[in-house]
Amino acid sequence: MAAPTPAVEIDGVTKRFGDVVAVDDITLTIDDGEFFALLGPSGCGKTTTLRMIAGLDLPSSGSLRIFGDEVGMAPPDRRPVNTVFQAYALFPHMTVRQNIEFGLRMRRVNKSEMSQRTEQAIAMVRLAGMEERRPSQLSGGQQQRVALARALVNQPKVLLLDEPLGALDLKLRQEMQQELKALQQQVGITFIFVTHDQEEALAMSERIGVMSQGHLLQVGSPREIYEHPTSRFVADFIGRTNLIEAEVESAGTLRLQNGKLIAAGISAPSGAAVAVSLRPEHIRVHPRDASASRGDPGDPGGDSLDGTIADVTYLGHAVVYSVAAGPTTIEARREGDLGEPLAVGASVTVSWDHGAVAVIED
Amino acid sequence: MSEAAVETGLGQRTRRGMAVWAGAVFAFLYVPIIVLVIFSFNASSQVNIWGGFSVSWYGEALRNDAITSAIRVSLIVAAASTAVSVVIGTALALALHRHRFRGRRALDGTVYLPIVIPDITMAVMLLVFFAEAFKLIDSFGPRYTLGITTVTLSHVAFNISFVCVVVRARLDQFDRTLEEAARDLYATAWQTFRRVTLPLIMPGIAAGGLLALTLSLDDLVISAFVSGPGSTTLPVYVFGSIRRGVTPELNAISTLMLAASMTIVLAALAVQRRRASSSQQAQIL
Amino acid sequence: MPRSPEARGGEEAAARAGRRQGMLLAAPAAVYLLIFFVVPLGLITVYSFATRTVTGRTSLSDWNIDAYRSVGDEIVVGIIWRSGWLATLTTALCLVIGYPFAYYIATRPRSLRAILLVLVMIPFWTNGLVRVYAIRFLLGSNGPASTLSESLGFGAFRILFTPTAVTIGMVYTFLTFMVLPLYVALERMDWRLAEAARDLYANGAKAFWKVTLPLTRSGIVAGCVLVFVPSFGSYVVPDILGGAKTLLVGSYIAQQFSDARNRPLGAALSVLLIVAMLIAVALNQRSGSGAENSDDAGSDRPRRRRRGADTDADSSSGSEAETRTEPAPAGL
Repeated sequence: MAAPTPAVEIDGVTKRFGDVVAVDDITLTIDDGEFFALLGPSGCGKTTTLRMIAGLDLPSSGSLRIFGDEVGMAPPDRRPVNTVFQAYALFPHMTVRQNIEFGLRMRRVNKSEMSQRTEQAIAMVRLAGMEERRPSQLSGGQQQRVALARALVNQPKVLLLDEPLGALDLKLRQEMQQELKALQQQVGITFIFVTHDQEEALAMSERIGVMSQGHLLQVGSPREIYEHPTSRFVADFIGRTNLIEAEVESAGTLRLQNGKLIAAGISAPSGAAVAVSLRPEHIRVHPRDASASRGDPGDPGGDSLDGTIADVTYLGHAVVYSVAAGPTTIEARREGDLGEPLAVGASVTVSWDHGAVAVIED
Repeated sequence: MSEAAVETGLGQRTRRGMAVWAGAVFAFLYVPIIVLVIFSFNASSQVNIWGGFSVSWYGEALRNDAITSAIRVSLIVAAASTAVSVVIGTALALALHRHRFRGRRALDGTVYLPIVIPDITMAVMLLVFFAEAFKLIDSFGPRYTLGITTVTLSHVAFNISFVCVVVRARLDQFDRTLEEAARDLYATAWQTFRRVTLPLIMPGIAAGGLLALTLSLDDLVISAFVSGPGSTTLPVYVFGSIRRGVTPELNAISTLMLAASMTIVLAALAVQRRRASSSQQAQIL
Repeated sequence: MPRSPEARGGEEAAARAGRRQGMLLAAPAAVYLLIFFVVPLGLITVYSFATRTVTGRTSLSDWNIDAYRSVGDEIVVGIIWRSGWLATLTTALCLVIGYPFAYYIATRPRSLRAILLVLVMIPFWTNGLVRVYAIRFLLGSNGPASTLSESLGFGAFRILFTPTAVTIGMVYTFLTFMVLPLYVALERMDWRLAEAARDLYANGAKAFWKVTLPLTRSGIVAGCVLVFVPSFGSYVVPDILGGAKTLLVGSYIAQQFSDARNRPLGAALSVLLIVAMLIAVALNQRSGSGAENSDDAGSDRPRRRRRGADTDADSSSGSEAETRTEPAPAGL
């Protein structure tokens, strides 16, 4: 049996606005039923990519297929996709019901089916009783639900969401994250959403595509992206990290700038310049002058560096240390430590497990 | 926050002085109009002596054929020029606001000229133009003269610009994502315009129309130059009468014109109020 | 890798369709303005180089700059001088009267501000001729003001048909043209800056001169242009309130096209007036707010869609809506 047709295939797509290349030769396949995030800083081309899938921008070159059909040049009204716009773009002159019915009306769905589907959509996003209100009379969260219902009522094959939670406050955003995930399970279609918020992307999606300056840098599961970034940009953009320049000494060994050798899973040829990404939460901090706890018995294969604490930030649930170790500064994040944090100027050793080392060869 | 006066860092005495000043300016703006309105109901034919309340001068004015004819001309010209300029001006605003095409810059600059140049120059320009145009047409046979048509054509010439500017201001506020949302929801380009764009810029079009109506009803200088016998507009008639002196009849007809202006202002404010805060009225070039 | 060759063509076709639609929409207005504005403008320029024949007709056969030369005549210079002086005086008076007035309105509580603004809008939109007539009626030698003054024992006064009457009428007519842009500027003003000045040891007057006034400069300039331009070319106000004695350039042009029949001179004066007004407006736009109207800048760049607070008028009804600008009716 052949593999199922992917929901969206983006094949060598480039978008230029005059001289500016907004999206540069992207190739990406998104499967049916997937919850996919396009993640990147503002201006990276993620929204333009989404808009090309929606048909709101036309690609300058390349091919774009939705369920196997070439749609690159098709107008938005001829594509089986719908969009939840950033800031929702609800029609201010229409009621909630008129907003939701809009797409069905445009497609001349018959009256009884229209009212049935509208009722369903309203129930699905729990907006019963609000049908006759105007968007301006709704809270941000409610507007969000109207936007969702307005798109989903059309039973699109793919739902596109442009920064869907960007306009909500933190608490509501976390609630809506859960709700969106549940909704996606319920309707079972592909969701593609654009966000600049890496935590949101990690929390919600099955796969993430990280974009920067028009390029698609890495595609993978949240875990792959976080633990095995393939570029400095991705390592730095997703969460906080320490990026340390290094050189391949031999298979399995790297030489840091201060000459220290550390172990890492690496297959690049000797002499290659690489970078090491170490997450702050994977780094332990040991005071050297104190009698206690130099080295860790449960840390057979770890590497370490000596340094001095340059700065301490107390966050309540965690303490962040900046440790100056020769030419580099290493950030370490300790959660759950009780008692007085270490003081600035203290001599310490920082250590980590081999598994915490991600080598970037870009 | 909303019900407090704005704290501006001025002293108590300055503030009190300013309140008195504001009162005086409002008095300056309104007393002449109010006095005129009161005296329009003066029964006496002596304009300076109050002879009791009467509406007789209104009857007198409306029985005057010259006045009723002028009112009729004014209304026809205003209605026709408003209708034409709203359509043409709105189309122009849409074109300038959202399309790039050859000649756009030149057109964009030209649109502002009729707003900027003094009435008197526009008036003599059009007078000369019609004179030359008639000479040209006459050589082919038919004879045309200045009349209600030339007045209307002239009013459209300046009203297009005003409608265009007002509608464009509304378009500036218009969020084009709404059109994209409509396109995304299977609306064709025309359906998007008809069901989303047009309803949302309607207040701007209405405001532009009311402005055009006001300007057409108020215009004196241009109408005076391009009207002919039988096409005297109300302001042209009133202007001519004022030159001959103040009469109770003029007071009455002026009050009627005030009432008409006032009605249009209130309509304009109602249109704006539907979707706007108090600060949206201010006007600039 | 399969590329669709028609992709680029499609994008260009869309752009072409957009251009075509734009031209189609603009065509009626473009044609209309060409016939009824640009051609007349050209004609008046042609006329200004024509010759006035002995019979008072205009001959286009002999081109010269006589008309522009006669602008230098003593009478004409006097008229221009008087018009300029009166327009300047009117502008200055409107500014002095209007600034505190606009300041007061702009700093009222929101609901009161809305009512006061309507009270300013009403005279702004009211028929100008009627308003001038009201002044004439009030100030006439046997009008209510004089009657009141007489009955109070001050004696009748005669200011009608004097420059004073014309000045009062001009200020009365154009005051709202000054107040509205000033109001816009003051309403936009971030008053915390004035407070900051007070905090930094400026007294009330210093805070005003050093902070408030400079920050509302664009409104002042716009208001001055809006008053100066129409009052310079004003025709109706001097005619009704000044009688024949206060001849200004607007009336003088009108005369050249009716009684005096020196159309080339009238045309030349019109051309000069238009040029002067365009310069005034251009100066205003330059000094006003260069950053604000740059809609052409970067037209090829990705369109930055405005998002968030100002997405639609309804959802932001509670917030400070952006101050709109509309054109002023051309002056009288």
